Amino acid sequence: MSEVEKLLGMNRKAADRYLKREVLGEGTYGVVYKAIDTKSGQVVAIKKIRLGKQKEGVNFTALREIKLLKELKDPSVIELIECFPHKGNLHLVFEFMETDLEAVIRDRNIFLSPADIKSYIQMTLKGLAFCHKKWVLHRDMKPNNLLIGPDGQLKLADFGLARIFGSPDRRFTHQVFARWYRAPELLFGAKQYGPGVDVWAAACIFAELLLRRPFLQGNSDIDQLGKIFAAFGTPKPSQWHDMVYLPDYVEYQCVPGQPFKTLFPTATDDCLDLLSKMFTYDPKARISAQQALEHRYFSSGPPPTEPALLPRPPPKREPGNPKVSDLNPHDGPVVLSPPRKSRRVMPHREGFEANVHPEKMDDHENEIRQAAGEKSEQVPMSLDFSVFGMKPPTRPTINSADRSHLKRKLDLEFQPEEE
Amino acid sequence: MADFMTSTHKTKWIYTPQDIKHKYKVANQRAKQALEMFGTTRMEVDIDGTFSYAESQNDAKDNAEKRPKPLKVEEEQLLRAFYEFKIQDVCDAFKFPRKIQATALIYFKRFYLLWSVMEHHPKDIMLTCIYAACKAEENHVSAEELGKGIGQDHHVILNNEMLVFQSLGFDLIAYAPYRALEGFISDLEEFCGAQDDNQLVALKGALDTARIEADKIMRSDGPLLFPPGQLALAALHRANAAHGIFDFEKYLRSVLSHHDQPVHAISELTGSINAIDSLIGKLLTPTSKDVKHIDRKLKSCLDPGSHDKSKKRKHRSKDSSNEVTDIS
Repeated sequence: MSEVEKLLGMNRKAADRYLKREVLGEGTYGVVYKAIDTKSGQVVAIKKIRLGKQKEGVNFTALREIKLLKELKDPSVIELIECFPHKGNLHLVFEFMETDLEAVIRDRNIFLSPADIKSYIQMTLKGLAFCHKKWVLHRDMKPNNLLIGPDGQLKLADFGLARIFGSPDRRFTHQVFARWYRAPELLFGAKQYGPGVDVWAAACIFAELLLRRPFLQGNSDIDQLGKIFAAFGTPKPSQWHDMVYLPDYVEYQCVPGQPFKTLFPTATDDCLDLLSKMFTYDPKARISAQQALEHRYFSSGPPPTEPALLPRPPPKREPGNPKVSDLNPHDGPVVLSPPRKSRRVMPHREGFEANVHPEKMDDHENEIRQAAGEKSEQVPMSLDFSVFGMKPPTRPTINSADRSHLKRKLDLEFQPEEE
Repeated sequence: MADFMTSTHKTKWIYTPQDIKHKYKVANQRAKQALEMFGTTRMEVDIDGTFSYAESQNDAKDNAEKRPKPLKVEEEQLLRAFYEFKIQDVCDAFKFPRKIQATALIYFKRFYLLWSVMEHHPKDIMLTCIYAACKAEENHVSAEELGKGIGQDHHVILNNEMLVFQSLGFDLIAYAPYRALEGFISDLEEFCGAQDDNQLVALKGALDTARIEADKIMRSDGPLLFPPGQLALAALHRANAAHGIFDFEKYLRSVLSHHDQPVHAISELTGSINAIDSLIGKLLTPTSKDVKHIDRKLKSCLDPGSHDKSKKRKHRSKDSSNEVTDIS
């Protein structure tokens, strides 16, 4: 009888087991608390997701994260210790992580040596190679989803956009990743894509470690491609044969791009060679995460810094002071990655065709998630399209059915916590 | 699809026949005890996953003669078999891919390793498992749409969702034999040296038959006992027995020779295939007529006061248990 009794008593016991401490932040879909596991003394982070208010039951994003993290057990991936419902909330218990890579990159007091950079990007690629080996695409790689543990170990976190891949002909939404980390095939509307999208994002993170600022800061999807091409040159058909067949392909004015050495003056030749392979336009020719780990950049000197010896920002959070405060650092003007929720919905061709698409289920709520950021990011309406020799795309308004759908979803996704 | 070898499916959800038998017995016993203690076997479930035995309001619990008769283990099995068939029915009606159907079936089977049908009505759980499988397989269908499609109250689904997830230990990725089957068939094209169209057509025919065999296997205990690759082999074996296209044992040897150190001996594989074969031989496909009397018994266990017209209480279980024959 033990199993059901365990189940009967479990939630109550599990809830009692953790001693709740300060709020760490607002996650995508709930509040995150620091807590102590009274049984082991271990510090944990608990994500609390409200239940029962949503029309569609258990939060989709949370479920996706649970589903995948249950199968992905590796030192390079955040550990989901357990999950249990209690008093109207679903609790996800994660191992506690001290900081994230964005905080490291942003901290002006931190000097990152070439060996430090090598270590951080190596751990990032290890996490990706592991996920890809298990047929999981992360689809939201960016510095603030790379968490750093008390021992300096970097781990991939936030699998709310992640998906299993490998089924032939399966189509996905291209509205994934924060824009600055989005691969060119996604920006051209590709719906069938693979692990290369994560590698491109990892390349952007690599570049960000070298430059100490986000590398390609586009303010629209069109502008993002413009920034990419300005850096590496407009892709020629010989470089990327399939490009012109992508759904949202538009012709860009030919620009030559700059040598990698100019873009990253501090990087060694090995480093530049790996970067150029990760920033390859054609996703079929782009280096895989595993191949990247075997690149000579990692075997040539200097060896990557031991994780425990990596420079990290001082413990940053005061009790009761959520992560949000980090967004206003006092040490001078810095450019921030766009917060995850500030991705923008482009209703025409991008988000809402999901309604009629054969695989309409894919990530609809993610577009919703992204739409939630509308408030924090104004859609630039005054883009200069003349340089592309084209008319600006018409921007149809969201029809009222979609709007009410959106509204409802938003209300549910971001309702305040009742504590 | 993710890696089976390190999956929760492989490490936590493959049992021996004895394990399963024991679990069914334990669940049945517990429900019987509940009937004695509370006068009902019904559990109240809430949307946040809390559940408890309902307290019967009549005197059945104190009066052994008035107490409803509990279901026997075999009756529970028959009822589960009926609803497993219904899962395939409903999924077909919605034209869901086989993967979703298989995931829903696996959820349903895992759920009732823990619970008795007397505690949670299998129709409610069936619907919830289909809904949950759609969600987990990224093929989202709204609860309302699902409920409407088969004329059922969708609140039942939402109420039971958390209970189902919890009972599954939140292990939501389940492996079905269909993917492996396709792999074997494309491997066989090479093995048979299929060059002309006739051979390819024959193999295609074998694949179709094997899929239907796999559908049957999915309703047996097979998915709780064997990994999906072996289920696929068993389906293929049966299909080949019908079509007679290739030398099955020779093919099995060639499959094993792909590995330097085969994980399985050929005798082990043939053992599994035979065991799965006999499971299909014993497969029950009860009609609604076959389960009518069991359903009547279940109804009185879940809701002993339901014959009593003077006590008009509204119960989910009461509403639903009347309709065993209505879902088609």
